[in-house]
Amino acid sequence: MPEAPLSGWRLADSLDGPASAPVSPWRVPLLLLGAVALLALLGPLIAPQDPLWQDLAARNVSPRPGAWLGTDNLGRDVLSRLLAGARITVLVASGATALALAVGAALGLTALAAGALPASLVFGVIDLIRALPSVLLGLALMVALGTGVGPVTIAIGLSFAPTFAVVARQAWLRERAAAYVEAAVASGTHPAVILRRHIAPNVAGALITQAAIILPRAVTTESVLSFLGLGVSPETPTWGRMIAAGLPFVERAPHAVLAPVIALSVLTLLLALAGDRIRAAADPLRMGTR
Amino acid sequence: MRLAAPVLRQLLTAGAIGVLVFLLMRVIPGDVVDVLGIEGDLTEAEQQALRIELGLDAGWGTQFLRWVGGALAGDLGLSLRYNRPVAEMIGYALPHTLTLAALALGLGLALGVSVAAVAAARPSGVWPGLVQVLNVWSIALPTFCVGLAGILVFSIWLGWLPVRGQILMPVLVLGIDIAGQIAKPLHEELKEILATPFIRSARAKGLGPGAIVLRHVLPNAAGVLSAVSGLILAGLVSGALTMEVLFGLPGLGSLAFQAIAGRDWTVLQSVVVLFALGVIVANLLADLAHRLADPRVR
Repeated sequence: MPEAPLSGWRLADSLDGPASAPVSPWRVPLLLLGAVALLALLGPLIAPQDPLWQDLAARNVSPRPGAWLGTDNLGRDVLSRLLAGARITVLVASGATALALAVGAALGLTALAAGALPASLVFGVIDLIRALPSVLLGLALMVALGTGVGPVTIAIGLSFAPTFAVVARQAWLRERAAAYVEAAVASGTHPAVILRRHIAPNVAGALITQAAIILPRAVTTESVLSFLGLGVSPETPTWGRMIAAGLPFVERAPHAVLAPVIALSVLTLLLALAGDRIRAAADPLRMGTR
Repeated sequence: MRLAAPVLRQLLTAGAIGVLVFLLMRVIPGDVVDVLGIEGDLTEAEQQALRIELGLDAGWGTQFLRWVGGALAGDLGLSLRYNRPVAEMIGYALPHTLTLAALALGLGLALGVSVAAVAAARPSGVWPGLVQVLNVWSIALPTFCVGLAGILVFSIWLGWLPVRGQILMPVLVLGIDIAGQIAKPLHEELKEILATPFIRSARAKGLGPGAIVLRHVLPNAAGVLSAVSGLILAGLVSGALTMEVLFGLPGLGSLAFQAIAGRDWTVLQSVVVLFALGVIVANLLADLAHRLADPRVR
Protein backbone atom coordinates (compact mmCIF):
# COMPACT_ATOMS: atom_id res chain seq x y z
CA MET A 1 0.00 0.00 0.00
CA PRO A 2 1.53 3.38 -0.98
CA GLU A 3 2.37 5.77 1.82
CA ALA A 4 -0.28 8.48 2.14
CA PRO A 5 1.20 11.98 2.20
CA LEU A 6 1.21 13.28 5.75
CA SER A 7 1.26 17.02 5.23
CA GLY A 8 -1.96 18.06 3.54
CA TRP A 9 -3.13 17.34 0.07
CA ARG A 10 -2.79 19.26 -3.12
CA LEU A 11 -4.72 19.68 -6.29
CA ALA A 12 -1.78 18.41 -8.31
CA ASP A 13 -1.92 15.05 -6.53
CA SER A 14 -5.39 14.72 -7.93
CA LEU A 15 -4.50 15.89 -11.40
CA ASP A 16 -1.28 14.06 -12.02
CA GLY A 17 -1.88 10.84 -10.20
CA PRO A 18 1.11 8.76 -9.18
CA ALA A 19 2.29 8.15 -12.73
CA SER A 20 2.53 11.74 -13.98
CA ALA A 21 4.10 12.58 -17.32
CA PRO A 22 7.87 13.19 -17.20
CA VAL A 23 7.44 16.59 -18.93
CA SER A 24 6.35 19.03 -16.23
CA PRO A 25 2.98 20.41 -17.35
CA TRP A 26 2.99 23.14 -14.74
CA ARG A 27 3.90 25.88 -17.17
CA VAL A 28 0.67 25.51 -19.09
CA PRO A 29 -1.66 27.27 -16.60
CA LEU A 30 0.98 29.95 -16.02
CA LEU A 31 1.35 30.55 -19.77
CA LEU A 32 -2.43 30.73 -20.18
CA LEU A 33 -2.63 33.15 -17.25
CA GLY A 34 0.02 35.29 -18.94
CA ALA A 35 -2.15 35.32 -22.04
CA VAL A 36 -5.17 36.42 -20.00
CA ALA A 37 -3.14 39.20 -18.39
CA LEU A 38 -1.92 40.31 -21.82
CA LEU A 39 -5.48 40.33 -23.17
CA ALA A 40 -6.62 42.37 -20.18
CA LEU A 41 -3.77 44.81 -20.68
CA LEU A 42 -4.21 45.17 -24.44
CA GLY A 43 -8.02 44.90 -24.27
CA PRO A 44 -8.82 48.47 -25.37
CA LEU A 45 -6.40 48.17 -28.33
CA ILE A 46 -7.66 44.90 -29.74
CA ALA A 47 -11.36 45.21 -28.83
CA PRO A 48 -13.43 45.34 -32.03
CA GLN A 49 -15.81 47.93 -30.53
CA ASP A 50 -16.10 50.58 -27.86
CA PRO A 51 -17.48 48.48 -24.96
CA LEU A 52 -19.96 51.25 -24.10
CA TRP A 53 -21.21 51.91 -27.65
CA GLN A 54 -24.85 50.89 -28.03
CA ASP A 55 -26.37 49.77 -31.31
CA LEU A 56 -30.04 49.64 -30.34
CA ALA A 57 -30.95 48.27 -33.77
CA ALA A 58 -28.81 45.17 -33.09
CA ARG A 59 -29.84 44.06 -29.61
CA ASN A 60 -29.31 40.46 -28.35
CA VAL A 61 -27.73 39.44 -31.66
CA SER A 62 -26.27 35.94 -31.65
CA PRO A 63 -22.55 35.47 -32.32
CA ARG A 64 -21.63 36.12 -35.97
CA PRO A 65 -18.61 37.38 -37.95
CA GLY A 66 -17.88 40.94 -36.82
CA ALA A 67 -19.56 40.40 -33.46
CA TRP A 68 -17.83 37.16 -32.51
CA LEU A 69 -19.58 36.80 -29.17
CA GLY A 70 -22.80 38.57 -30.19
CA THR A 71 -24.34 41.66 -28.59
CA ASP A 72 -26.16 42.23 -25.30
CA ASN A 73 -29.58 43.65 -24.43
CA LEU A 74 -28.46 47.19 -25.35
CA GLY A 75 -26.69 46.18 -28.54
CA ARG A 76 -23.21 46.41 -27.02
CA ASP A 77 -20.47 44.10 -28.29
CA VAL A 78 -20.02 41.23 -25.80
CA LEU A 79 -16.41 40.48 -26.78
CA SER A 80 -15.35 44.10 -26.27
CA ARG A 81 -17.12 44.21 -22.91
CA LEU A 82 -15.52 40.91 -21.90
CA LEU A 83 -12.07 42.34 -22.61
CA ALA A 84 -12.83 45.55 -20.71
CA GLY A 85 -14.20 43.47 -17.81
CA ALA A 86 -11.08 41.29 -17.78
CA ARG A 87 -9.05 44.42 -17.22
CA ILE A 88 -11.12 45.42 -14.16
CA THR A 89 -11.11 41.87 -12.77
CA VAL A 90 -7.36 41.39 -13.13
CA LEU A 91 -6.68 44.86 -11.72
CA VAL A 92 -9.03 44.58 -8.73
CA ALA A 93 -8.19 40.96 -7.83
CA SER A 94 -4.41 41.37 -7.96
CA GLY A 95 -4.57 44.76 -6.24
CA ALA A 96 -6.85 43.42 -3.50
CA THR A 97 -4.65 40.35 -2.91
CA ALA A 98 -1.51 42.50 -2.72
CA LEU A 99 -3.28 44.89 -0.32
CA ALA A 100 -4.57 42.03 1.84
CA LEU A 101 -1.06 40.54 2.02
CA ALA A 102 0.55 43.89 2.88
CA VAL A 103 -2.04 44.95 5.49
CA GLY A 104 -2.45 41.51 7.04
CA ALA A 105 1.26 40.74 7.24
CA ALA A 106 2.20 44.22 8.48
CA LEU A 107 -0.52 44.19 11.15
CA GLY A 108 0.16 40.64 12.29
CA LEU A 109 3.96 40.83 12.34
CA THR A 110 4.02 44.27 14.00
CA ALA A 111 1.71 43.01 16.71
CA LEU A 112 3.80 39.86 17.21
CA ALA A 113 7.01 41.87 17.36
CA ALA A 114 5.49 44.33 19.85
CA GLY A 115 4.97 41.66 22.50
CA ALA A 116 2.41 39.33 23.99
CA LEU A 117 -0.24 41.85 25.03
CA PRO A 118 -0.49 43.79 21.73
CA ALA A 119 -0.41 40.48 19.85
CA SER A 120 -3.28 38.97 21.82
CA LEU A 121 -5.31 42.19 21.43
CA VAL A 122 -4.77 42.46 17.66
CA PHE A 123 -5.38 38.77 17.03
CA GLY A 124 -8.44 38.84 19.28
CA VAL A 125 -9.97 41.46 16.98
CA ILE A 126 -8.81 39.56 13.89
CA ASP A 127 -10.47 36.36 15.14
CA LEU A 128 -13.69 38.33 15.67
CA ILE A 129 -13.60 39.64 12.12
CA ARG A 130 -12.92 36.14 10.82
CA ALA A 131 -16.07 34.89 12.54
CA LEU A 132 -18.17 37.17 10.32
CA PRO A 133 -19.21 35.79 6.92
CA SER A 134 -16.68 37.23 4.45
CA VAL A 135 -19.34 38.08 1.86
CA LEU A 136 -21.20 40.19 4.45
CA LEU A 137 -17.99 41.90 5.49
CA GLY A 138 -17.12 42.69 1.88
CA LEU A 139 -20.64 44.00 1.27
CA ALA A 140 -20.55 46.25 4.34
CA LEU A 141 -17.11 47.61 3.45
CA MET A 142 -18.25 48.16 -0.13
CA VAL A 143 -21.23 50.22 1.04
CA ALA A 144 -18.98 52.15 3.41
CA LEU A 145 -16.36 52.99 0.80
CA GLY A 146 -18.55 53.71 -2.22
CA THR A 147 -18.20 52.48 -5.79
CA GLY A 148 -15.19 52.60 -8.10
CA VAL A 149 -12.07 50.54 -8.79
CA GLY A 150 -10.21 51.91 -5.74
CA PRO A 151 -12.96 51.27 -3.17
CA VAL A 152 -13.70 47.76 -4.48
CA THR A 153 -10.01 46.88 -4.31
CA ILE A 154 -9.79 48.22 -0.76
CA ALA A 155 -13.00 46.48 0.37
CA ILE A 156 -11.94 43.07 -0.97
CA GLY A 157 -8.37 43.60 0.23
CA LEU A 158 -9.45 44.44 3.78
CA SER A 159 -11.89 41.56 3.98
CA PHE A 160 -9.11 39.08 3.10
CA ALA A 161 -6.39 40.77 5.22
CA PRO A 162 -7.16 38.82 8.45
CA THR A 163 -6.33 35.47 6.81
CA PHE A 164 -2.84 36.76 5.95
CA ALA A 165 -2.29 37.95 9.53
CA VAL A 166 -3.21 34.49 10.80
CA VAL A 167 -0.92 32.77 8.27
CA ALA A 168 1.92 35.13 9.24
CA ARG A 169 1.39 34.25 12.90
CA GLN A 170 1.41 30.50 12.21
CA ALA A 171 4.64 30.75 10.19
CA TRP A 172 6.20 33.02 12.79
CA LEU A 173 5.38 30.70 15.70
CA ARG A 174 6.60 27.67 13.75
CA GLU A 175 9.90 29.31 12.85
CA ARG A 176 10.42 30.72 16.34
CA ALA A 177 10.18 27.20 17.74
CA ALA A 178 12.46 25.70 15.07
CA ALA A 179 15.68 24.14 16.27
CA TYR A 180 17.92 26.21 13.98
CA VAL A 181 16.47 29.47 15.34
CA GLU A 182 17.13 28.19 18.85
CA ALA A 183 20.69 27.43 17.80
CA ALA A 184 21.08 30.94 16.35
CA VAL A 185 19.79 32.45 19.61
CA ALA A 186 22.11 30.26 21.65
CA SER A 187 25.10 31.26 19.55
CA GLY A 188 24.39 34.91 20.30
CA THR A 189 23.08 36.07 16.93
CA HIS A 190 21.40 39.47 17.09
CA PRO A 191 17.55 39.19 17.11
CA ALA A 192 17.26 41.51 14.09
CA VAL A 193 19.62 39.28 12.11
CA ILE A 194 17.64 36.17 13.08
CA LEU A 195 14.46 37.91 12.03
CA ARG A 196 15.86 38.98 8.68
CA ARG A 197 17.90 35.93 7.80
CA HIS A 198 15.88 33.03 9.24
CA ILE A 199 12.32 33.99 10.01
CA ALA A 200 11.44 36.50 7.29
CA PRO A 201 12.13 34.21 4.27
CA ASN A 202 9.97 31.43 5.69
CA VAL A 203 7.14 33.77 6.67
CA ALA A 204 7.30 35.29 3.18
CA GLY A 205 6.97 31.82 1.65
CA ALA A 206 3.85 31.11 3.69
CA LEU A 207 2.36 34.48 2.74
CA ILE A 208 2.97 33.92 -0.98
CA THR A 209 1.38 30.49 -0.73
CA GLN A 210 -1.65 32.07 0.92
CA ALA A 211 -1.78 34.77 -1.79
CA ALA A 212 -2.01 32.00 -4.40
CA ILE A 213 -5.04 30.62 -2.55
CA ILE A 214 -6.71 34.01 -2.10
CA LEU A 215 -6.24 35.34 -5.66
CA PRO A 216 -8.97 33.17 -7.30
CA ARG A 217 -11.30 33.98 -4.38
CA ALA A 218 -10.68 37.69 -4.91
CA VAL A 219 -11.66 37.23 -8.57
CA THR A 220 -14.93 35.57 -7.55
CA THR A 221 -15.66 38.13 -4.83
CA GLU A 222 -15.21 40.99 -7.31
CA SER A 223 -17.66 39.32 -9.66
CA VAL A 224 -20.20 38.60 -6.91
CA LEU A 225 -20.04 42.19 -5.64
CA SER A 226 -20.51 43.68 -9.09
CA PHE A 227 -23.22 41.09 -9.80
CA LEU A 228 -25.02 42.45 -6.72
CA GLY A 229 -24.62 45.97 -8.12
CA LEU A 230 -22.04 47.05 -5.55
CA GLY A 231 -18.84 46.83 -7.58
CA VAL A 232 -17.23 49.51 -9.70
CA SER A 233 -19.49 52.23 -11.13
CA PRO A 234 -22.56 51.06 -13.11
CA GLU A 235 -21.24 52.21 -16.50
CA THR A 236 -17.98 50.26 -16.25
CA PRO A 237 -18.29 46.84 -17.89
CA THR A 238 -17.42 44.04 -15.43
CA TRP A 239 -18.11 40.33 -15.70
CA GLY A 240 -20.43 40.34 -12.70
CA ARG A 241 -22.45 43.22 -14.10
CA MET A 242 -22.60 41.61 -17.55
CA ILE A 243 -24.07 38.50 -15.92
CA ALA A 244 -26.59 40.52 -13.89
CA ALA A 245 -27.61 42.57 -16.94
CA GLY A 246 -27.86 39.53 -19.20
CA LEU A 247 -29.91 37.25 -16.92
CA PRO A 248 -33.33 38.85 -17.63
CA PHE A 249 -32.75 38.34 -21.38
CA VAL A 250 -31.02 34.99 -21.10
CA GLU A 251 -33.59 33.09 -23.15
CA ARG A 252 -33.12 35.36 -26.16
CA ALA A 253 -29.42 35.97 -25.71
CA PRO A 254 -27.76 33.17 -23.70
CA HIS A 255 -24.35 34.12 -25.14
CA ALA A 256 -24.40 37.45 -23.23
CA VAL A 257 -24.46 35.52 -19.92
CA LEU A 258 -22.52 32.47 -21.02
CA ALA A 259 -19.47 34.46 -22.17
CA PRO A 260 -18.72 36.11 -18.80
CA VAL A 261 -19.63 32.94 -16.85
CA ILE A 262 -17.18 30.89 -18.92
CA ALA A 263 -14.53 33.60 -18.70
CA LEU A 264 -14.89 33.72 -14.91
CA SER A 265 -14.79 29.92 -14.54
CA VAL A 266 -11.74 29.57 -16.79
CA LEU A 267 -9.88 32.34 -14.96
CA THR A 268 -10.54 30.87 -11.48
CA LEU A 269 -9.65 27.40 -12.75
CA LEU A 270 -6.35 28.64 -14.19
CA LEU A 271 -5.56 30.57 -11.01
CA ALA A 272 -6.31 27.51 -8.87
CA LEU A 273 -4.06 25.31 -11.05
CA ALA A 274 -1.22 27.83 -11.18
CA GLY A 275 -1.56 28.59 -7.48
CA ASP A 276 -1.31 24.91 -6.69
CA ARG A 277 1.95 24.68 -8.60
CA ILE A 278 3.25 27.75 -6.78
CA ARG A 279 2.32 26.15 -3.47
CA ALA A 280 4.15 23.00 -4.42
CA ALA A 281 7.22 25.00 -5.42
CA ALA A 282 7.15 27.08 -2.22
CA ASP A 283 6.75 24.08 0.07
CA PRO A 284 10.26 23.02 1.15
CA LEU A 285 8.97 19.63 2.38
CA ARG A 286 7.83 18.71 -1.11
CA MET A 287 10.65 20.25 -3.09
CA GLY A 288 12.30 17.79 -5.43
CA THR A 289 9.72 15.09 -4.85
CA ARG A 290 8.15 15.68 -8.20
CA MET B 1 -17.29 19.95 32.40
CA ARG B 2 -14.73 20.25 29.66
CA LEU B 3 -17.27 21.96 27.42
CA ALA B 4 -17.99 24.88 29.78
CA ALA B 5 -14.85 26.91 29.01
CA PRO B 6 -15.16 26.80 25.20
CA VAL B 7 -18.88 27.61 25.42
CA LEU B 8 -18.19 30.64 27.61
CA ARG B 9 -15.42 31.86 25.31
CA GLN B 10 -17.66 31.45 22.26
CA LEU B 11 -20.48 33.37 23.96
CA LEU B 12 -18.06 36.22 24.71
CA THR B 13 -17.04 36.13 21.05
CA ALA B 14 -20.69 36.46 20.01
CA GLY B 15 -21.11 39.47 22.30
CA ALA B 16 -17.97 41.12 20.92
CA ILE B 17 -19.22 40.51 17.37
CA GLY B 18 -22.40 42.37 18.33
CA VAL B 19 -20.37 45.43 19.37
CA LEU B 20 -18.19 45.18 16.25
CA VAL B 21 -21.14 44.94 13.89
CA PHE B 22 -22.90 47.81 15.61
CA LEU B 23 -19.86 50.08 15.22
CA LEU B 24 -19.17 48.96 11.63
CA MET B 25 -22.69 49.90 10.61
CA ARG B 26 -22.55 53.31 12.26
CA VAL B 27 -19.38 54.08 10.27
CA ILE B 28 -21.12 53.39 6.96
CA PRO B 29 -22.23 56.71 5.48
CA GLY B 30 -25.96 57.34 5.09
CA ASP B 31 -28.83 55.94 7.10
CA VAL B 32 -32.26 54.52 6.39
CA VAL B 33 -33.78 58.01 6.30
CA ASP B 34 -31.39 59.05 3.50
CA VAL B 35 -32.48 55.99 1.52
CA LEU B 36 -36.16 56.65 2.19
CA GLY B 37 -35.56 60.32 1.39
CA ILE B 38 -34.16 59.50 -2.06
CA GLU B 39 -36.97 57.05 -2.73
CA GLY B 40 -39.85 59.11 -1.35
CA ASP B 41 -38.79 62.75 -1.87
CA LEU B 42 -38.99 63.65 1.82
CA THR B 43 -38.21 67.24 2.77
CA GLU B 44 -35.36 68.06 5.12
CA ALA B 45 -37.83 68.67 8.00
CA GLU B 46 -39.70 65.42 7.35
CA GLN B 47 -36.39 63.51 7.35
CA GLN B 48 -35.42 65.06 10.68
CA ALA B 49 -38.80 64.17 12.20
CA LEU B 50 -38.46 60.61 10.94
CA ARG B 51 -35.00 60.29 12.50
CA ILE B 52 -36.39 61.36 15.87
CA GLU B 53 -39.31 58.95 15.48
CA LEU B 54 -36.95 56.04 14.71
CA GLY B 55 -34.60 56.96 17.55
CA LEU B 56 -31.69 57.64 15.19
CA ASP B 57 -31.07 61.07 16.75
CA ALA B 58 -29.82 59.46 19.97
CA GLY B 59 -26.10 58.89 20.52
CA TRP B 60 -24.43 55.58 19.57
CA GLY B 61 -24.18 54.52 23.19
CA THR B 62 -27.91 55.02 23.79
CA GLN B 63 -28.81 53.19 20.58
CA PHE B 64 -26.52 50.31 21.48
CA LEU B 65 -27.92 49.96 25.00
CA ARG B 66 -31.46 50.11 23.63
CA TRP B 67 -30.67 47.26 21.20
CA VAL B 68 -28.82 45.07 23.72
CA GLY B 69 -31.42 45.70 26.44
CA GLY B 70 -34.25 44.80 24.09
CA ALA B 71 -32.44 41.75 22.70
CA LEU B 72 -31.75 40.38 26.18
CA ALA B 73 -35.44 40.83 27.01
CA GLY B 74 -36.32 38.94 23.82
CA ASP B 75 -37.29 41.99 21.78
CA LEU B 76 -35.17 42.67 18.69
CA GLY B 77 -37.03 45.91 17.90
CA LEU B 78 -38.66 47.12 14.70
CA SER B 79 -37.18 47.24 11.22
CA LEU B 80 -36.22 50.85 10.52
CA ARG B 81 -37.37 50.49 6.94
CA TYR B 82 -40.47 48.34 7.05
CA ASN B 83 -41.66 49.09 10.61
CA ARG B 84 -42.17 45.35 11.18
CA PRO B 85 -40.75 43.43 14.15
CA VAL B 86 -37.22 42.23 13.32
CA ALA B 87 -37.94 38.94 15.08
CA GLU B 88 -40.86 38.33 12.72
CA MET B 89 -38.72 39.02 9.61
CA ILE B 90 -35.97 36.73 10.90
CA GLY B 91 -38.54 34.12 11.86
CA TYR B 92 -39.78 34.10 8.28
CA ALA B 93 -36.30 33.97 6.72
CA LEU B 94 -34.55 31.59 9.12
CA PRO B 95 -36.30 28.32 8.09
CA HIS B 96 -35.37 28.94 4.44
CA THR B 97 -31.68 29.37 5.28
CA LEU B 98 -31.64 26.49 7.76
CA THR B 99 -33.29 24.18 5.23
CA LEU B 100 -30.78 25.13 2.54
CA ALA B 101 -27.79 24.79 4.88
CA ALA B 102 -28.97 21.52 6.45
CA LEU B 103 -29.79 19.87 3.12
CA ALA B 104 -26.50 21.02 1.56
CA LEU B 105 -24.52 19.84 4.58
CA GLY B 106 -26.39 16.53 4.66
CA LEU B 107 -25.81 15.92 0.96
CA GLY B 108 -22.17 16.98 1.21
CA LEU B 109 -21.49 14.72 4.19
CA ALA B 110 -23.33 11.75 2.71
CA LEU B 111 -21.66 12.10 -0.69
CA GLY B 112 -18.19 12.97 0.60
CA VAL B 113 -18.04 10.29 3.28
CA SER B 114 -19.51 7.51 1.13
CA VAL B 115 -17.29 8.23 -1.89
CA ALA B 116 -14.20 8.39 0.33
CA ALA B 117 -15.19 5.21 2.19
CA VAL B 118 -15.91 3.20 -0.95
CA ALA B 119 -12.69 4.50 -2.54
CA ALA B 120 -10.73 3.34 0.51
CA ALA B 121 -12.42 -0.07 0.52
CA ARG B 122 -11.95 -0.59 -3.25
CA PRO B 123 -8.71 1.15 -4.24
CA SER B 124 -8.65 -0.48 -7.68
CA GLY B 125 -11.99 0.80 -9.00
CA VAL B 126 -13.12 4.16 -10.34
CA TRP B 127 -13.86 5.52 -6.85
CA PRO B 128 -10.44 7.03 -6.06
CA GLY B 129 -10.76 8.89 -9.35
CA LEU B 130 -14.15 10.22 -8.25
CA VAL B 131 -12.57 11.51 -5.01
CA GLN B 132 -10.08 13.43 -7.10
CA VAL B 133 -12.71 14.81 -9.47
CA LEU B 134 -14.76 16.07 -6.50
CA ASN B 135 -11.68 17.66 -4.97
CA VAL B 136 -10.64 19.47 -8.15
CA TRP B 137 -14.24 20.58 -8.65
CA SER B 138 -14.53 22.21 -5.23
CA ILE B 139 -11.12 23.87 -5.34
CA ALA B 140 -11.28 25.25 -8.86
CA LEU B 141 -14.96 26.09 -9.42
CA PRO B 142 -16.56 28.76 -7.23
CA THR B 143 -20.18 28.03 -6.25
CA PHE B 144 -21.18 31.33 -7.87
CA CYS B 145 -20.01 30.09 -11.29
CA VAL B 146 -21.46 26.62 -10.85
CA GLY B 147 -24.81 28.09 -9.77
CA LEU B 148 -24.94 30.35 -12.83
CA ALA B 149 -23.96 27.50 -15.14
CA GLY B 150 -26.68 25.39 -13.51
CA ILE B 151 -29.26 28.11 -14.20
CA LEU B 152 -28.18 28.28 -17.84
CA VAL B 153 -28.23 24.54 -18.41
CA PHE B 154 -31.12 23.25 -16.30
CA SER B 155 -33.44 26.26 -16.18
CA ILE B 156 -32.91 27.95 -19.52
CA TRP B 157 -31.92 25.22 -22.00
CA LEU B 158 -33.49 22.11 -20.55
CA GLY B 159 -36.30 23.96 -18.77
CA TRP B 160 -36.40 21.39 -15.96
CA LEU B 161 -36.35 23.89 -13.08
CA PRO B 162 -37.56 27.45 -12.57
CA VAL B 163 -34.78 30.08 -12.42
CA ARG B 164 -35.86 31.55 -9.10
CA GLY B 165 -37.42 30.21 -5.93
CA GLN B 166 -36.29 26.55 -6.20
CA ILE B 167 -33.97 24.98 -3.69
CA LEU B 168 -32.81 21.85 -5.53
CA MET B 169 -30.00 23.48 -7.49
CA PRO B 170 -28.52 25.55 -4.62
CA VAL B 171 -28.51 22.40 -2.45
CA LEU B 172 -26.75 20.42 -5.20
CA VAL B 173 -24.20 23.17 -5.86
CA LEU B 174 -23.31 23.67 -2.19
CA GLY B 175 -23.53 19.96 -1.37
CA ILE B 176 -21.11 18.90 -4.12
CA ASP B 177 -18.75 21.68 -3.06
CA ILE B 178 -18.80 20.41 0.54
CA ALA B 179 -18.38 16.79 -0.61
CA GLY B 180 -15.24 17.81 -2.51
CA GLN B 181 -13.80 19.49 0.56
CA ILE B 182 -14.47 16.40 2.69
CA ALA B 183 -13.68 13.53 0.33
CA LYS B 184 -9.98 14.10 -0.32
CA PRO B 185 -8.67 14.59 3.25
CA LEU B 186 -10.98 11.82 4.51
CA HIS B 187 -9.76 9.44 1.80
CA GLU B 188 -6.11 10.12 2.71
CA GLU B 189 -6.86 9.51 6.38
CA LEU B 190 -8.80 6.33 5.64
CA LYS B 191 -5.95 4.93 3.55
CA GLU B 192 -3.56 5.66 6.40
CA ILE B 193 -5.78 3.96 8.98
CA LEU B 194 -6.24 0.96 6.69
CA ALA B 195 -2.48 0.42 6.78
CA THR B 196 -2.34 0.18 10.59
CA PRO B 197 -1.91 -3.10 12.52
CA PHE B 198 -5.33 -3.19 14.17
CA ILE B 199 -6.95 -3.23 10.77
CA ARG B 200 -4.72 -6.14 9.82
CA SER B 201 -5.96 -8.08 12.83
CA ALA B 202 -9.56 -7.22 11.92
CA ARG B 203 -8.88 -8.59 8.45
CA ALA B 204 -7.22 -11.69 9.91
CA LYS B 205 -10.35 -12.16 12.00
CA GLY B 206 -12.19 -12.59 8.71
CA LEU B 207 -14.09 -9.28 8.47
CA GLY B 208 -14.91 -8.09 4.95
CA PRO B 209 -13.63 -4.74 3.63
CA GLY B 210 -17.06 -3.10 4.00
CA ALA B 211 -17.40 -4.06 7.66
CA ILE B 212 -13.83 -2.98 8.39
CA VAL B 213 -14.37 0.46 6.88
CA LEU B 214 -17.72 0.97 8.61
CA ARG B 215 -16.87 -0.38 12.03
CA HIS B 216 -13.17 0.27 12.52
CA VAL B 217 -11.94 2.89 10.08
CA LEU B 218 -14.65 5.56 9.87
CA PRO B 219 -14.94 6.21 13.64
CA ASN B 220 -11.19 6.76 13.79
CA ALA B 221 -11.31 9.20 10.90
CA ALA B 222 -13.88 11.46 12.60
CA GLY B 223 -11.08 13.83 13.59
CA VAL B 224 -10.56 14.78 9.95
CA LEU B 225 -14.20 15.80 9.64
CA SER B 226 -14.05 18.01 12.70
CA ALA B 227 -10.78 19.52 11.44
CA VAL B 228 -12.32 20.61 8.13
CA SER B 229 -15.69 21.50 9.68
CA GLY B 230 -14.70 25.10 10.49
CA LEU B 231 -13.64 25.74 6.91
CA ILE B 232 -16.76 24.04 5.56
CA LEU B 233 -19.09 26.03 7.81
CA ALA B 234 -17.51 29.35 6.85
CA GLY B 235 -17.83 28.36 3.18
CA LEU B 236 -21.40 27.20 3.75
CA VAL B 237 -22.48 30.52 5.28
CA SER B 238 -20.94 32.59 2.49
CA GLY B 239 -22.16 30.10 -0.11
CA ALA B 240 -25.71 30.17 1.25
CA LEU B 241 -25.72 33.99 1.10
CA THR B 242 -24.64 33.96 -2.55
CA MET B 243 -27.03 31.15 -3.50
CA GLU B 244 -30.01 32.87 -1.86
CA VAL B 245 -29.42 36.09 -3.77
CA LEU B 246 -28.65 34.21 -7.01
CA PHE B 247 -31.73 31.97 -6.84
CA GLY B 248 -34.04 34.54 -5.24
CA LEU B 249 -34.62 32.56 -2.02
CA PRO B 250 -36.15 34.56 0.87
CA GLY B 251 -33.56 33.54 3.49
CA LEU B 252 -31.27 35.37 5.90
CA GLY B 253 -28.75 36.10 3.13
CA SER B 254 -31.29 37.96 1.02
CA LEU B 255 -32.52 39.70 4.19
CA ALA B 256 -28.98 40.83 5.06
CA PHE B 257 -28.30 42.00 1.52
CA GLN B 258 -31.50 44.06 1.43
CA ALA B 259 -30.77 45.44 4.90
CA ILE B 260 -27.32 46.62 3.81
CA ALA B 261 -28.69 48.23 0.65
CA GLY B 262 -31.51 49.92 2.60
CA ARG B 263 -29.36 50.85 5.65
CA ASP B 264 -31.80 48.92 7.83
CA TRP B 265 -29.44 48.64 10.80
CA THR B 266 -31.81 47.03 13.31
CA VAL B 267 -32.40 44.12 10.94
CA LEU B 268 -28.78 43.78 9.87
CA GLN B 269 -27.21 43.79 13.33
CA SER B 270 -29.53 41.05 14.58
CA VAL B 271 -29.04 38.95 11.42
CA VAL B 272 -25.24 39.18 11.59
CA VAL B 273 -25.12 38.25 15.28
CA LEU B 274 -27.44 35.35 14.48
CA PHE B 275 -25.04 34.20 11.73
CA ALA B 276 -22.12 34.40 14.16
CA LEU B 277 -24.08 32.46 16.81
CA GLY B 278 -25.01 29.87 14.19
CA VAL B 279 -21.37 29.31 13.21
CA ILE B 280 -20.39 29.08 16.89
CA VAL B 281 -23.13 26.57 17.75
CA ALA B 282 -22.32 24.49 14.67
CA ASN B 283 -18.63 24.42 15.62
CA LEU B 284 -19.49 23.25 19.13
CA LEU B 285 -21.78 20.56 17.70
CA ALA B 286 -19.01 19.38 15.35
CA ASP B 287 -16.65 19.20 18.31
CA LEU B 288 -19.24 17.25 20.33
CA ALA B 289 -19.89 14.85 17.44
CA HIS B 290 -16.14 14.24 17.18
CA ARG B 291 -15.96 13.42 20.90
CA LEU B 292 -18.84 11.00 20.58
CA ALA B 293 -17.55 9.26 17.45
CA ASP B 294 -13.83 8.98 18.13
CA PRO B 295 -13.03 6.56 20.96
CA ARG B 296 -9.65 8.21 21.59
CA VAL B 297 -11.06 11.61 22.64
CA ARG B 298 -14.15 10.35 24.40
